[in-house]
Amino acid sequence: MTSTVPEHEIGRSVVTEPVRDDGPPGAVKARGLVKTFKGGVEAVRGIDLSVRAGEVFGFLGPNGAGKTTTVRMLCTLLPPTAGTALVAGLDVLARPAEVRKRIGVALQEIGLDPVQTGRELIELQCGLYGIVGEDARRRAQELLDLVGLTDAADRRTKTYSGGMKRRLDLASALVHSPEVLFLDEPTTGLDPASRLTVWDEVRRINALGTSVFLTTQYLEEADQLCDRVAIIDAGRIVAEGTPEALKAEMGHDVVTVALDGADAGATAAAIGALPGLERVVPEPEALALYVEDGPSSIAEIVRRLDQARISVGAISVSRPSLDDVFLSATGRRLEGADSAESPPESGGDSA
Amino acid sequence: MTTAVALLGRRAVRETFRMPEATIPTLFIPLFFLAVNIGQVSKTFPSSTPWLHGQGYVAFQTPVSLLFAVCTATSGLALVTEIDNGYFDKLLVAPVRRSSIIFGRLAADVVRGIGTATLVLVVALAFGARVKAGVPGAVAIVGLSALWGAAYAGFAILVALYTRNVQATNASFILFFPLLFLTPNFVPFDRLTGLMEALARANPVSYVIEGLRSLVLQGWVLDKLAICLGVIVATGLVLTWLSVRAIEGYDR
Ligand SMILES: Nc1ncnc2c1ncn2[C@@H]1O[C@H](COP(=O)(O)OP(=O)(O)OP(=O)(O)O)[C@@H](O)[C@H]1O
Ligand SMILES: [Mg+2]
Repeated sequence: MTSTVPEHEIGRSVVTEPVRDDGPPGAVKARGLVKTFKGGVEAVRGIDLSVRAGEVFGFLGPNGAGKTTTVRMLCTLLPPTAGTALVAGLDVLARPAEVRKRIGVALQEIGLDPVQTGRELIELQCGLYGIVGEDARRRAQELLDLVGLTDAADRRTKTYSGGMKRRLDLASALVHSPEVLFLDEPTTGLDPASRLTVWDEVRRINALGTSVFLTTQYLEEADQLCDRVAIIDAGRIVAEGTPEALKAEMGHDVVTVALDGADAGATAAAIGALPGLERVVPEPEALALYVEDGPSSIAEIVRRLDQARISVGAISVSRPSLDDVFLSATGRRLEGADSAESPPESGGDSA
Repeated sequence: MTTAVALLGRRAVRETFRMPEATIPTLFIPLFFLAVNIGQVSKTFPSSTPWLHGQGYVAFQTPVSLLFAVCTATSGLALVTEIDNGYFDKLLVAPVRRSSIIFGRLAADVVRGIGTATLVLVVALAFGARVKAGVPGAVAIVGLSALWGAAYAGFAILVALYTRNVQATNASFILFFPLLFLTPNFVPFDRLTGLMEALARANPVSYVIEGLRSLVLQGWVLDKLAICLGVIVATGLVLTWLSVRAIEGYDR
């Protein structure tokens, strides 16, 4: 495999960025975090994380990668098997009560009390964070307006649609204007319009100074919303950096050659040392060639394959995406990536 | 801390009113019991029976119906449902003592217990029972029943926290049957067979029945009431302490 990326193209190393001992603690700082469940499932296998104060940090990974487990450890809901974590500068194991005051949490499983109304639920949430009386009423109204639930505020939450529940849950995580906000798959199951609303809300909260740690399976979400992302797979962080840097590191263009039954090894050999070839990543039924100039490489690729009498399927050119980063790190495409690749304005899943 | 208990208690009480379907079934057995006793059993034990103190058998059985009404798995079920749907996590991640989740539930048990005990007592009165200790005695009966309900609620709460399973929590109600029937519930202690009497005397529920029954049949018998209250407080302290311990240790 060739890897001749010019040094200046590398924004950040693909290997996990070590947590530095110096510097301010930031929003989240974890080192060597491990969670092994009873029964031996190694959900998280020693991850280091460093989320800076004020950033939106994306934790991207497929189903079962360990995202929720990590979030639950950082939120004081689950004790790590090993490792340490500081959230808002406080150790989650030693000072959980203080951590809880500073964080807002919207978990993947939306937890709402079905027989309370949206307003009652938010007011109760206010009370749990020490906001009571008139202040609680005002804050609840403000948040309900913010997430567009004013009209439904006095209905019981069991009558809410999936998207409404998500938005109410998000509002309930914001009552005390937390320092660090954890959102576990905040847009899964939302229709495209609601997804955009949540993105806007995350940006707005972040602009007010809240650091955001969000998990997602959607490449586009990580790309659009996050200042930095970490990609987790099978309990390990396989890449970390700004989306731009991660993509830039992959190369300039990606030429995908559909194999259509041709042998991957033979095809790669035939293409050989193509000028400007930066790396070759085998995919299921295809070969991804990262090259300096995609369009002009195609002719040469076709010529070389012809010469070797190898017939392949379609050849296409695109810019590297975070999915290519994922592919390069794990040898697989990110599951569920398809639905996220289409822009939120068109198609997609609905609540 | 107290704010959180008040808030969570208010919520749990509100839930009781909004989910009558959780409470109404718990009233079937106690009311059925009263009806059976007035209709059939009272012929076996006429009011001339010495230990009936001149009242009908319904009066003798009223405490048993009261205990049936207040001993429920309702709080445990509410808790396990919450664990299931994820709201429990939201409460755990809030900066409040975990014990306030338990105390909030127990507060609702007291309120619900007052309601159901009053209802059962009123039906018993309609069926001809009279409270010898008068109106203050009736208030004491309702109060003690409700407290016992809250004390006993800890049991289903424990099952909920340890199993996190709705069916198991629901089934925990079954345990109350042996507890309730290994008592002088049909006849006084001295009318039980030797083995039954020994078991009944070892069963704390017996003394709760005895205390409530003394208010109905005899008036203010202080030593029976003291033992009754002692059993309620001790049971409540033990089960509540265990529940608080279980929730503090939940996923830790
Ligand atoms: N309580 C548990 N007991 C045992 N195994 C668990 C438990 N919770 C999670 N796991 C396992 O740990 C692994 C990671 O799960 P986790 O929920 O953290 O993944 P995830 O990245 O959040 O996935 P998803 O995108 O599906 O939400 C999975 O293999 C899962 O089956
Ligand atoms: Mg998850």
